[in-house]
Amino acid sequence: MNLILFTFIVLLGFTSYYFGRRKAYTIQSTNKRLTALPQFYGYYLAIWCAIPAFIIFSLWAIFEPTIVKLLILSDYSNQGYLDDELNLIYEKTKALSRGQFTGEITPFIEASAEKYLSLRSIAQSSKVVIVLSIIIASVAYAYKKISSNSRTREPVEKFLKVVLFTASLAAILTTVGIVFSLIFQTIDFFKVIPLFDFVFGTHWYPAKAFVRDSSEALDPTMYSDTFGAVPIFAGTFFIAFIAMCVAIPIGLMSGIYLAEYASVKVRQYAKPLIEILAGIPTVVYGFFAALTVGPFLKEIGNSMGLDVSAESALAAGGVMGIMIIPFISSLSDDVITSVPQSLRDGSYAMGATKSETIKKVIFPAALPGIVGSILLGVSRAIGETMIVVMASGLAANLTLNPLESTSTITAQIVVILIGDQAFGDPKTQAAFALGMSLFLVTLCLNIVALRVVKKYREKYE
Amino acid sequence: MKKNGVKMIKINSKNVDVFYGKKQALFNINLDIEENQVTALIGPSGCGKSTFLRCLNRMNDVIDICRVKGQIIINDFDINDKSCDVVRLREKIGMVFQKPNPFPKTIYENISYGPTIHGMAQSKNEMDEIVETSLKKAALWEEVKDRLHEPGTGLSGGQQQRLCIARAISVKPEVILMDEPCSALDPIATAQIEELIDELKKDHTIIIVTHSMAQAARVSQNTGFFHLGELIEHGSTDKIFKNPENKKTQDYITGRFG
Repeated sequence: MNLILFTFIVLLGFTSYYFGRRKAYTIQSTNKRLTALPQFYGYYLAIWCAIPAFIIFSLWAIFEPTIVKLLILSDYSNQGYLDDELNLIYEKTKALSRGQFTGEITPFIEASAEKYLSLRSIAQSSKVVIVLSIIIASVAYAYKKISSNSRTREPVEKFLKVVLFTASLAAILTTVGIVFSLIFQTIDFFKVIPLFDFVFGTHWYPAKAFVRDSSEALDPTMYSDTFGAVPIFAGTFFIAFIAMCVAIPIGLMSGIYLAEYASVKVRQYAKPLIEILAGIPTVVYGFFAALTVGPFLKEIGNSMGLDVSAESALAAGGVMGIMIIPFISSLSDDVITSVPQSLRDGSYAMGATKSETIKKVIFPAALPGIVGSILLGVSRAIGETMIVVMASGLAANLTLNPLESTSTITAQIVVILIGDQAFGDPKTQAAFALGMSLFLVTLCLNIVALRVVKKYREKYE
Repeated sequence: MKKNGVKMIKINSKNVDVFYGKKQALFNINLDIEENQVTALIGPSGCGKSTFLRCLNRMNDVIDICRVKGQIIINDFDINDKSCDVVRLREKIGMVFQKPNPFPKTIYENISYGPTIHGMAQSKNEMDEIVETSLKKAALWEEVKDRLHEPGTGLSGGQQQRLCIARAISVKPEVILMDEPCSALDPIATAQIEELIDELKKDHTIIIVTHSMAQAARVSQNTGFFHLGELIEHGSTDKIFKNPENKKTQDYITGRFG
């Protein structure tokens, strides 16, 4: 029903566009000059159709359920029910009206369900009538109003601005919402676990928290030595470091090759090929690391008499580095290519060779962009989940041996949130605390990056 | 400059053809450049004068699809020969571009760039001296001596172009190529550069591409007129401007086309 109504309103919008434009053409044919192009008149009418429809739909969506609920529950007032019970009755009514209620059906609830259905259908039909009549009235009003010298361009432009603003606002508000949900859970977590234990504790063993029976009272002392985040922070940075050791040199060098040395033809094929790497799902990298690279490293290590874990930080970090190569190479290639040719010419004309030109002129000029691409790579490495979950193990060892297994923040969040979770439990909240710290780390990285870029920027032009 | 009444020829080009891919841009150019003189190359846009200029320090090598045929002899040596070392060649033949293109480095580093590459200074003092002389020769020293370690890109357009000239002369080139060096500058900066060119010709041979007929007449002793990839006429500036042999030259100079 709603879909049909919606389609109808869209059609109505198109029709009003058509009528608006036609009226403009009619005015034009009487040799009057219009204040805007005819399509603006059309858009103007379409907006007069869209805005009232949108407002009424939103109001309806907000108020209809509340009003219906009030009307249904008014039958039960003065019978001494508690709020919770009333809510339960209402849910039962709704379920019954949809035919999904499986419990015992009392005559009361059956009557309510019937009432509910009739209310809904009244609401539905009155919605159709109200929406359509208001739209038609507003379009008709606007249609009458437009004349040769009416201002249609300004409202249309303003409308577009508002639409675009709303879109960006939605993105920003979502971010803010996510941050707030992190903050509140994190605060709850730190009410139970002292911040000091979290930041400086060297023992991470959240499985211990599984043991708690949720009916027991919360005893903070049982969590001491459970949520010490040092091992997983260390693991995260260690694996990211290994990844960047692979990604920065290879990525940068291939970026420089693509931008400065490769012929047009080679570049045409090589660049998309490298970018294919970026298109491989990380889970594929994950089992590549876990099933191919890990065992391979173990075999090599064993043949050399080293004790290599099958799930080693080296395997995870190395494969993660390969995953990040295309980001760095592609971005630095773009940055280097955008250094003006005049700088290269200037350097060549001084008798500099290609490598001197790259080292002394192009690289410094492109450095802010290159640093940016590297930091983007670092935040990818820190935030990467799948590869570490699959290839580097879940035991949070505090180690700097790349041949042992370690764990990362992201992998621990996965471990904590997989399976049954209880809200309000420190174990679940630990995931939020980890997420929050991850967020803070990346935020700091970005701020540092911006400062660095600003300070060392060599402006050309 | 004449020695014993004979003109000293610095650059001698023979049958130079240039191709961009399949398109021929220059046809059989034979042009001699006199030592310690200013030679102006004039002609309408796209006539090949800049292409010819870029042949003289092999800057066309940078362009993949560009091929150069013929001989360009500088100091009895054909620079198009395989044995020619481009790095040495460009040390001897400096270039100033149309748009000022200082490196995004400090003023000092802009000047010391060439001498560093060519290993011309053994100590910091020597380098300081090179920087100072170059900037003085480019008539920029007084304006920048207190801010040598500020970025070169912070200078005004005219100052930037003089910085580029200082950069070019820092390696003591024998020849300086100038590709429309004043086209991005205002009249005052242009006048300064022109004055500078006159000064520089004592030590350097200068070849300047220009769109301004008046500029060619003001600064040059010799002029070559290019049209559609051919060298139509060349000779002393006086003769080209007052008494050209070719009708096309006359038409261009009097502003009838181009």
